[in-house]
Amino acid sequence: MMENKFDIAVIGAGAEGSATAYFAAKSGAKVILIDAGDLAEGTSSRCDGDILVSDKMPGFDCEFALASQALFPQLAKELDFDFEWRKEGTMYLMETEEETEVAEQYCRNMVACGVPMKMLTAKEVHEDEPNVADDVVSGLRCECDGGVYPIGMVYGYALTARRLGATLLLHSPVTGIEPEGGGFLIRTVKQEVRAAKVVNCCGVKAPKVGMMVGLDIPVEARQGQILVTEHTFPVVKHEFHEFGYMLTKFGNSSYKRNVSERVERNGVAMVIEPTMAGNFLIGSSRSFVGEDISSDIDVMQALAERAIRFFPVLKDIKIIHAYSGVRPFTPDHLPIISDTPVDGYYIAAGHEGDGIGLSAITGKCMAEMLVSGKSEMDISPLSYSRFIKN
Amino acid sequence: MMEEMIKINGYPTIDEIRKNNGWPSDERFAKGPVAICECVQEIPCNPCEAACPRHAIAVGEPITNTPRVDNDSCTGCGMCIACCPGLAIFVIDKTYSETMATVSFPFEYLPLPEKGDKVKAVARDGSAVCEGEIVKILDPKRNDHTPVVTVAVPKAFADDVRSIMRPGVSGDEAGFEPFVPEGYIDDDVIVCRCEEVTAGEIRKAVREYEGDSLTGIKRRVRAGMGLCQGRTCGKLVTRIIQEELGKRADEVAQGTRRPPVRPVTFGELAGKDGGEDDGK
Repeated sequence: MMENKFDIAVIGAGAEGSATAYFAAKSGAKVILIDAGDLAEGTSSRCDGDILVSDKMPGFDCEFALASQALFPQLAKELDFDFEWRKEGTMYLMETEEETEVAEQYCRNMVACGVPMKMLTAKEVHEDEPNVADDVVSGLRCECDGGVYPIGMVYGYALTARRLGATLLLHSPVTGIEPEGGGFLIRTVKQEVRAAKVVNCCGVKAPKVGMMVGLDIPVEARQGQILVTEHTFPVVKHEFHEFGYMLTKFGNSSYKRNVSERVERNGVAMVIEPTMAGNFLIGSSRSFVGEDISSDIDVMQALAERAIRFFPVLKDIKIIHAYSGVRPFTPDHLPIISDTPVDGYYIAAGHEGDGIGLSAITGKCMAEMLVSGKSEMDISPLSYSRFIKN
Repeated sequence: MMEEMIKINGYPTIDEIRKNNGWPSDERFAKGPVAICECVQEIPCNPCEAACPRHAIAVGEPITNTPRVDNDSCTGCGMCIACCPGLAIFVIDKTYSETMATVSFPFEYLPLPEKGDKVKAVARDGSAVCEGEIVKILDPKRNDHTPVVTVAVPKAFADDVRSIMRPGVSGDEAGFEPFVPEGYIDDDVIVCRCEEVTAGEIRKAVREYEGDSLTGIKRRVRAGMGLCQGRTCGKLVTRIIQEELGKRADEVAQGTRRPPVRPVTFGELAGKDGGEDDGK
């Protein structure tokens, strides 16, 4: 029989939960990592592997992402699974003068935050990558961005946590959480677990696991779909986004792109990401359709259409697979990494499309809060209290 | 509506056949051999229609109609039997002798029986119902490897017998040998050819990385992530997981089927001109 008393029970073995388990185990806590299914079975396996600063808002959002990015080179040495960390930078592509103006302003603000970004002319864009469509007007390059194999990232955190003494309890859905003697009794399908502290790292399922202790967690599923190409020649050497990606992510601009009806209705903005294996991942789409993760032909067609618009050479390259996942969306696009009014119950969830990139700093901050009561970095903007209505 | 037994058991009842395809009258049976289509589901298929030299089988439009035999035109020649991809057409002759009837059926197993063989005749569910004697085997080239075998059985079983147990195969099960895996797959054998993943790497994913499903192995070591999307290696990966964890094949979770079924280019997916809405 598995021992059942722990300092910390982390619920959810995706990127945030596994990272939290890793950093907590590393600092000596007795940790159990619980999941309803396999490691990285939800959003963390149905995403891309971006480690981006360049799609954040200037200010705290950006500082938090920079702090996370800074941890990856060390993690690549520490973790027991090769998660393919590489830092190749990213580029945004602008298709109009209007986009270029917005990008210039954004670039100035980001540089002021210490992000190594710069504007490129059309000529410089094509020197960097000849496969970019001829009519692209300008580019915005960010040197510090990188990527990982996201599923491998989770295995890295979780398997290393296990080596450091953490217990993995997989395929065992949590059915109830009850306060008990200053800690919690966690009922799961396989066994009962007792822990002094509980962290809800359940992504889109965070509201359900919040309700178990009476907390209302404002996380909603925002679907995204991705196409995977065959192994082929290096279409791109680093990641590219269309600048319209910012518009679809934050949805707060009056600017409308000149795009087809199906691109517009599916919230499609071109992203192309090379993988170490030689495939390319093509995104992105955004829509609120509950927790549906089927691949929709209309979205797939819009993704293909938009990819060809920026990289015409893709036209004759084959798509071998498509997948779909749900991002844990919060109303202000920032995650919740916080204690709660329920003493001993914490939340690290709601990272929308930034969960892999922010997993390192999330795990570190959460582990510090759990072990010493306070994180080194001031993460008050991520407090759960911002959503508590009076 | 009555539950369709074919969906539950994998074979139709005579009532389902009667309703969807029709069933010859006793008078018709008394006149000589006649074909029976036992094709009760609405699938897009019609080779039987073209196979009949007397145009006695009709599918019509839409192609998903279930076939009907015009019992007056049908002579029971049996040309239709080998043409049915679903092996669902039979010819019954209740006039073979005073006591015996014959059933002609498609038989795609080896070895073929021989004329005069005493065999166990089986019903639609594969269970043995009576003794029978092989009276004819037809395997011309035009049958394209679908031999038609005729077995004589007591008249009382003519409506139920639809095949025979394989000759020379022992055991009380329906004539099929249980699956016995071949030898151990050596660690250095490449199992996933698209991504060049060896059996040893797959075993490592189970033993060290907690992988226990087809998708779990794919995510850990890329087996099944390549061009064929696991269509080639899926069975072997399942078998290795089975061997490692002592599970049955049906206890190993299979992958999620995702589009496209076969690789398509971006141009094909996006539609004409690589762009605009194609008629939506």
